[in-house]
Amino acid sequence: MTLKAPKSFELTIPSRLEALDAVQHLVEQAAKEFNLTDEIAYWIELSVSESMINAIRHGNKSDPTKAASLKISSDGHAIEVIVEDEGKGFNLEDLADPTDAQNLLKPSGRGILIIRSFMDEVNLSTREGGGTRLQMIKRLPGNPS
Amino acid sequence: MSMLLKTRRLDDVVILDLSGRITIGEGTVMLRDTLQKLLADGDRKFLVNLEAVDYIDSSGLGELVTGFTTVRNQGGHLKLLKLTRRVRDLLQITKLLTVFESFDNETEAIKSLRY
Repeated sequence: MTLKAPKSFELTIPSRLEALDAVQHLVEQAAKEFNLTDEIAYWIELSVSESMINAIRHGNKSDPTKAASLKISSDGHAIEVIVEDEGKGFNLEDLADPTDAQNLLKPSGRGILIIRSFMDEVNLSTREGGGTRLQMIKRLPGNPS
Repeated sequence: MSMLLKTRRLDDVVILDLSGRITIGEGTVMLRDTLQKLLADGDRKFLVNLEAVDYIDSSGLGELVTGFTTVRNQGGHLKLLKLTRRVRDLLQITKLLTVFESFDNETEAIKSLRY
């Protein structure tokens, strides 16, 4: 699924957790522009934050010379979020299931599970020239397709 | 709003009242440091009140899990109080509701820790 977006919000940050404040601010702006309900805005913010933290920590290994970028757009029917990093990439299927009994008490590994629980589509691909691209789509209420 | 943490004590039970956002960075470090200090001082019974927490990310959940295992490894108990719907949803999605004992009523929660 590809969305035709009349309006989008974009941001590129260095791979430092301190830069996440700007991400939160951008999501708030987008939520307001797209008239999202508090509930959807909350889950979009959580999904964006989890994916940006993954991009910074796991993709770019917290190397501040590497960038993580974010694009949030909407055509009124769905919200599309794209997060890109400069890492080596990974397969969603290779991730350990954090709900397995053996992983339940581990301190990390729940980000993608949270994202998948809310988003209707989560697609991972390799960027041209290297890096990882995570595309997430949330269909808005009243727009089933 | 970042996270705020206040502690109060009812006999041998320490109640940690959290509010705001429990996210990667300062919030999680504050929770970890507070629990470690209380454990070092000999406390073993903890109630984490999440009533005023309006946002928690996977790092925040991870810190609750770390707190739970750290306390348990030292022979103590850590339970949760007053989960908001969003926090409960996240604990459900991650199956952490099967790990934590949680209460809606503070008196009941304290009673369960006094055994």
